[in-house]
Amino acid sequence: MTEERVVSTGDGVVATDMVLNIGPQHPATHGVLRLRLVLDGERIVSAEPVIGYMHRGAEKLFEVRDYRQIIMLANRHDWLSAFSNELGVVLAVERMLGMEVPERAVWARTLLAELNRLLNHLMFLGSYPLEVGAITPVFYAFREREAIQEVMEEISGGRMHFMFNRVGGLKEDLPNGWTNRVRTAMAGVRDRLPQLENLVFGNEIFAARTQGVGVLSKEQVLQYGLSGPIARASGIDMDLRRDEPYLAYGELQDVLRVVTRTEGDCYARFEVLREQVHVSMDLVDACLERLEQLPQGPINQRLPKVLKAPEGYTYAWTENPLGLNGYFLVSHGEKTPHRLKLRSASFNNVQVLGEMLPGQLVADMVSILGSMFFVVGDVDK
Amino acid sequence: MSEVLEAALRLIVVFAAFLTLPLLVGQLEHKVMAHMQSRMGPMYAGGFHGWAQLVADGVKFAQKEEVVPAAADRTVFRLAPALALIPYFVAMVAIPIGPGLVGRDIDAGIFFVLAVMGVGVIGTLMAGWASANKYSLLGAVRQVSQLMAYELPFVLAAASVAMAAGSLGFTDIVDAWEPWWLIWQLPAAVVFFVAGLAELNRPPFDMPVADAEIIFGPYTEYTGLRFALFLLAEYAGIVLLCFLTSVLFLGGWHGPFVDSWVWTFAKAGVLAFVVVWLRVSYPRMRADQLQKLAWQILIPVALAQLLLTGVVTVAW
Amino acid sequence: MTAVDLPAPRVGPLSTLAPKPVRLVLNWGRRYSLWVFNFGLACCAIEFIATSMSRYDFIRLGVIPFAPSPRQADLMIVSGTVTDKMAPAIKRLYEQMPEPKYVISFGACANCGGPYWDSYSVTKGVDQIIPVDVYVPGCPPRPEALLQGILKLQEKIADENVGARYRPSAKALTRPLVRPT
Repeated sequence: MTEERVVSTGDGVVATDMVLNIGPQHPATHGVLRLRLVLDGERIVSAEPVIGYMHRGAEKLFEVRDYRQIIMLANRHDWLSAFSNELGVVLAVERMLGMEVPERAVWARTLLAELNRLLNHLMFLGSYPLEVGAITPVFYAFREREAIQEVMEEISGGRMHFMFNRVGGLKEDLPNGWTNRVRTAMAGVRDRLPQLENLVFGNEIFAARTQGVGVLSKEQVLQYGLSGPIARASGIDMDLRRDEPYLAYGELQDVLRVVTRTEGDCYARFEVLREQVHVSMDLVDACLERLEQLPQGPINQRLPKVLKAPEGYTYAWTENPLGLNGYFLVSHGEKTPHRLKLRSASFNNVQVLGEMLPGQLVADMVSILGSMFFVVGDVDK
Repeated sequence: MSEVLEAALRLIVVFAAFLTLPLLVGQLEHKVMAHMQSRMGPMYAGGFHGWAQLVADGVKFAQKEEVVPAAADRTVFRLAPALALIPYFVAMVAIPIGPGLVGRDIDAGIFFVLAVMGVGVIGTLMAGWASANKYSLLGAVRQVSQLMAYELPFVLAAASVAMAAGSLGFTDIVDAWEPWWLIWQLPAAVVFFVAGLAELNRPPFDMPVADAEIIFGPYTEYTGLRFALFLLAEYAGIVLLCFLTSVLFLGGWHGPFVDSWVWTFAKAGVLAFVVVWLRVSYPRMRADQLQKLAWQILIPVALAQLLLTGVVTVAW
Repeated sequence: MTAVDLPAPRVGPLSTLAPKPVRLVLNWGRRYSLWVFNFGLACCAIEFIATSMSRYDFIRLGVIPFAPSPRQADLMIVSGTVTDKMAPAIKRLYEQMPEPKYVISFGACANCGGPYWDSYSVTKGVDQIIPVDVYVPGCPPRPEALLQGILKLQEKIADENVGARYRPSAKALTRPLVRPT
């Protein structure tokens, strides 16, 4: 029966197994994901994620936008890591064109990508406790986000969708004194982050709700193609920043730490997120140092009025905050791509729910759902 | 004749308190929660720091359309808020706030109040069952299981202080109270307060109304004034719990300079602050963790306290 | 479950016949107690959440985000892209809200389809399915823009005649003819 059932409509009560439709608009899901659950009392018998409620046809629209307009659209599928999304697109086009990006732009991009990672992880550090019932950490997390968004807004004009990458570099050079402001913002975040961490990680109820809950095995991760912090929490030691360095990560290998855990439960995933915040903060400091040492130089390349990528195809993937995000670009030599296929991290991360949820309690379902760290726009594109 | 008049006057005062004190607690919650989350809370409703926010809420809820789901049991659905609210009013009649300041001094005060407070859960069960909604039913059943688990430590803790005072009446207990009881009855006080919070569905025990999981539990389908009455019932319960705890365990109107109702209000106010503080700080416990807390921790502590109370009372 | 034709909403005689002072109080109540059902669909939901956080805090204005289901909400803020798959759910949730209710369309996608104006699966604007009171433009709009949208809605409510909202006069229903040039 594929009838659309939305929360809080009245329905009869089935005696033994209850079919409960969580979503599509349900406070616990990050957006409009629908889960069709079959319950036995409070235990889940089977779960099926139903996606597509945020399908906006981005890949089709990519085919009618040129390479500048694509950046605007590419921002918006994983809306918490907008800069990293743009990065994949411009890296693909630059590779097709054989363009070499100025060093200043490379370091600035790395810096902004790590700041974006911070924004993403802080969001989840705040919203996951909210789902478990702790209402205060989200305020602290957003306070830190605002501090970082201020510097991002100064440079790009946007608080969330930056549209700052261009093919060949960045849109504009960094404002005067901006690096100092980033330093101040980082110092403030570093200072206040222990408040958030103590509130969440020091809480016994939180630990009881997340430890041992929703264990994801290494085999499941490999079978479903999970990536990002979720995979690393189950022991998969893969991080594109170290294994296939892009941007300036090649020179940051001594600062970069790949965070892994072996337990694979909700608590482990959350801990990976927390440590990645610290790693990102260190990377930001390293990038700032390097940027200040660089001589003045160009920040982008001069592009022709009509930018056409040469015929051919390429795959450019980046380590986005949520996982591996790849763009498969097929060009027929026109100013719009022939096909720009998007491999999004959350699409795979959500599929494993069908295997993880059966056998769990409804109360645990919310913990598990929140700990998968997905963004629905990323799932549905 | 004047007796009837006096009784009526007392009832009216209690009713007025019943209507205004929960609003005060609600406003306290807004403001305390806001300041703990480094923001301001309601500021514009009523001009000065949004004091009239809850009044505006009431005025608005009164204007809302009344919606009864088609598959719902209409009479039961409509009566549920009354059954959740009235027991708290009845219980408030029995609680004294000052020497001689009580709605009606009942000899078996504790017994009466605890019994009446237990009736309130029927309202929730009615709401959940009659709503013809899976989420509501889940919430109502959770609520009942929670109440059954926590009623026992609640009663045991109250029994301990009644044994210490040698009477079930509130005034007698406050009269018999000594400051060293703060230490002697501390476990019972903590058990009483925690169990009371669980009965009121306040965080961290708000699993039945866990809005991240089952929307709003038994109250999901309620709109307008009925919903407002459920909210009022929650705050009235908090007021009741705070006053009960301060009268039973903190000495009621006893205070440093003069014994007066001001101390009762002050103690109850501090406890209300603690209730809000707990909401702000803690995530919610899962069903089995909650039951474990009740059966494996609270009840043994309450029993141990009862034993201690008995020994000390007999010895001294 | 078969679709049921609900009767058109009416307001009771009290609202329409109430004298001005009473109506003032009633409007004041509706204006400063807007329980919002966050219909957060996409990126704009993040800015909505940011507006409820410490820096901007719309609870100051009386917009309380504690409405867990549409049944307890008066205000629905549609933030994000409305896809064709999601549209029936939105309509249903809107209908579950009890009257009087208000809708703010937040963000370019909810206003008119936004950057996805030529997509095959997007509803170009939520006002195609539900009536909207205030439109807040932006992609995504700044939190201050949402605050201004809420203020505008509050001004609208303050001047509102609830009776006229549900039984518009004949004058309001007719429009002047467009003259061909």
